[in-house]
Amino acid sequence: MSNANTNAAVAASFAKRINLQQYVVYFGFVAIFLFFAIVLKDSGFLTVRNLSNIVLQTAPVTIMAIGLVFVMSAGEIDLSIGSTVGVTALAAAVTINQYGLVAGVLAGLGAGLLIGLINGAMVAYVKLPSFLVTLATLGLLAGVSRSMTDLRSVPVIHETFVGLFGSGSFLGIPSLMWWTAIAVAAGHMIYRETRFGAHVLATGDNARAASVSGINVPRIRLTVLMISGTLAGLAGLLYAGRLQAAKYTLGETDLMTVIAAVIVGGTLLNGGKGSIIGALVGSLMMGMLNNGLILMGLSVSDQMIVRGLIILTAVAVSLREKNR
Amino acid sequence: MLERIIAAAFAGGLIFAAANFANAQTVGPQGEAATPSSSVTLSDADIATLKGKGYKAALLWHTSSDFTNAVSAGAKDEFARGGINIVVTTDAQFDAARQRSDIETALAAKPNVILALPLDPVTSAEAFRQAVKDGTKLVFLSNLPKGYKHGTDYASIVTDDLFQMGKQAADAMAKAIGGKGKVGYIFHDATYYVTNQRDKAFKTTIEKDYPDIKIVAEQGISDPARAEELASAMLLQHPDLDGIYVTWAEPADGVLSALRNAGNPKTKIVTLDLAEPEALDMVKGGNVAALVADKAYELGRAMAAAGMKSLLGQETPPFVVAPALTVTKDNVAQGWKDSLNRNAPQSVLDAAK
Amino acid sequence: MDAKVIASAGQPVLKLQDISKNFGGITAIENFSLEVYPGEIVALVGDNGAGKSTLIKIISGVHAPSAGTITIEGQSVTMSSATMARSHGIEVVYQDLALADQQTVYMNMFLGREPVTRLGLLDRRKMIADTEKLVKELDVRIPSAHATIRDLSGGQRQGVAIARATHWANKLILLDEPTAALGVAETAKVEEIVQSLKQRNIGVLMISHSLDQVFRLSDRICVLRRGKQIGVRRTAETSKNEIIAMITGLQEH
Repeated sequence: MSNANTNAAVAASFAKRINLQQYVVYFGFVAIFLFFAIVLKDSGFLTVRNLSNIVLQTAPVTIMAIGLVFVMSAGEIDLSIGSTVGVTALAAAVTINQYGLVAGVLAGLGAGLLIGLINGAMVAYVKLPSFLVTLATLGLLAGVSRSMTDLRSVPVIHETFVGLFGSGSFLGIPSLMWWTAIAVAAGHMIYRETRFGAHVLATGDNARAASVSGINVPRIRLTVLMISGTLAGLAGLLYAGRLQAAKYTLGETDLMTVIAAVIVGGTLLNGGKGSIIGALVGSLMMGMLNNGLILMGLSVSDQMIVRGLIILTAVAVSLREKNR
Repeated sequence: MLERIIAAAFAGGLIFAAANFANAQTVGPQGEAATPSSSVTLSDADIATLKGKGYKAALLWHTSSDFTNAVSAGAKDEFARGGINIVVTTDAQFDAARQRSDIETALAAKPNVILALPLDPVTSAEAFRQAVKDGTKLVFLSNLPKGYKHGTDYASIVTDDLFQMGKQAADAMAKAIGGKGKVGYIFHDATYYVTNQRDKAFKTTIEKDYPDIKIVAEQGISDPARAEELASAMLLQHPDLDGIYVTWAEPADGVLSALRNAGNPKTKIVTLDLAEPEALDMVKGGNVAALVADKAYELGRAMAAAGMKSLLGQETPPFVVAPALTVTKDNVAQGWKDSLNRNAPQSVLDAAK
Repeated sequence: MDAKVIASAGQPVLKLQDISKNFGGITAIENFSLEVYPGEIVALVGDNGAGKSTLIKIISGVHAPSAGTITIEGQSVTMSSATMARSHGIEVVYQDLALADQQTVYMNMFLGREPVTRLGLLDRRKMIADTEKLVKELDVRIPSAHATIRDLSGGQRQGVAIARATHWANKLILLDEPTAALGVAETAKVEEIVQSLKQRNIGVLMISHSLDQVFRLSDRICVLRRGKQIGVRRTAETSKNEIIAMITGLQEH
């Protein structure tokens, strides 16, 4: 093949990539939104309250998804985020009730950080696959959260906490939206615009290349899992604030939703490529899908089937484009 | 039916804690007397008033199972009489946060009445707050959000009668073994409210009402998969047992298998909840003598009726109890319909012919 | 020694003196000495297992020698990591290229050494500008600095890897089988790029299995057998037959 031909082919595939792959999630989001807007126009879908509910409901998932983008971009996985949420929410709730706001928030975030540190150390320095490590901690933490308060729910009565992490608002915007916006903005900035973000991508893309280029690969692996643990801790605080209570089941069913949001949002399972904004839109898409399918009055089993099919389609389209 | 047991386990601060065994009846969270579900009905005039109002209902369940399907069916049929459409059905998958999201989403469809199983009193208190604020009529199944007041916050709680289930199991056992003899007692060895209450009611009834029946062997079980070995051991020590009570149908599989392996056709089994293998053994004249079930369809019907009464501005009973149902060889087909609102499995119907 | 012949070119960029390397009881490299001068291409040839890779790893800082000294521009150095070798101006183009496939050309050029602005954010503008300038100078024909590595041909990838080494090396580039996976046309292109490195006054130490290529590119040839240096020849003054004889052991120095 002559160079000119190669260049033309490369340029063409480059253009195609830009057009399709990166925007699958956005097209999907808009299409689903329009569909619900038309079909459910008399069923309350388009009300401000409902749309804002979607954003508020997805806040914890979005925040966990940001962590998972870092982890997956580095070529690792964190299956323990769901059970981390239960532990951190309970840790925060119990501590707030005894020692007040600051201690409670630190306990929640600290518990998440510690879990991430343990996961990360096992992966980075003991050199175990993150899939196995976090699968094990997933089960371990589910046990820990159950034993922490003996299966009891813990009410959170601290008004400031509930305002900060739950039902409060600032400048007319609900606090859960603030947390989402802050986490997305900071996550995007770190992911796209810092050397750390570039090193995360390089590690997931080609760990050997990263290593011989002077990147401290083990430290990157440790750090992404710590980020993920800490963000799961923040998600735990948001759940506790929103429900004004903590319970061991919090977050346990979120793992699949978070993974779906991240993948639909354009992050590769095997690392090297991803998007924080994509994960946000993916997460909103999951929330919108739940919301719209419920409002359509479908039976529970039909909701599950339709949701599964749409996620499958979205994942298929976004992965096929990338993994040619 | 394990889902239901788990559901109850999830339901942290259960309301039946006040169930009073000395008086042998179930009472409500604030000590309310139980109203039988059969008395919660709408008159023709009520139905006529409701029709054409265009009211909407939402069913917010904790899981998806045989049980919730039957409750939904009962609610749907009863609502249909009053011309009320079910616009939303959800499954929170035992997730408290998800239940809150489900409630918020359902409210966008502006339902006039919500039937729901609050996952746990603490987390559901905040979750259902917006529904109360919106003026939606709430009818709860089995559980009550903490601090909610009857009349202002919710219309009714409807629940099945756990005490009756255990008692009827004891009555069925007594009948099967002729009112006297030795029985084994296999109870659920875990703090799960539903099974614990039923097990306790069985034991209490045998001890109080049947002085000629002795519980000679007691065995706790937490893992249904171990039922067979536990039952085998029990039979080894007490080969002359007249009957065995098993806490629910799944471990009864193992007990049944132990009896078959021992070539024992005479020891009778009584267990709770409807399940195909036990029903099949029962209609074939095997060891199983009776299955005691709740009336899930009736629970749903009563919930819908209470909700509609509330919409009409009528007084609603705070605490409604649906009866338990003893299913034997003679009423197996009807029993399945009454409990789960569907036909018994074909194999059972064929064998019953 | 033959090396003295071109000593007039000035101080060597790399001087290996009596380098030995033992792994356990096994001697991989024995008393190896070699000098590489600026603007010179030295080829390292030898049979499989002769010790070429070990030698490259010693020079690139991956392995520390058991004995002997490494001198870079007259200064004796000890290196315990690839990072240290890089800080001494030594770059390696690995056989697998060590490129991150899903990243852009410019991110690969600066992998691990990304420049940042005063705010601590990635300086993409500088990375892109530097990349474009360099690929133009080296005539590496890629569609754009923004292109993703996976969209490039094998020759283009090799070009990017060499360009990256060129950007960072101010003394020595180690090339490990630079054209092993390439077709004829692409090999020619990569050889052209390697040739052009001479003008940059960088020393090049190259491993290649292709004697044709060695004779086309190198100024001197160093033959290695069983961990020992068999001899060094000026390419212009030797023949393939002689080199083959040295590699196979049919002719002793």
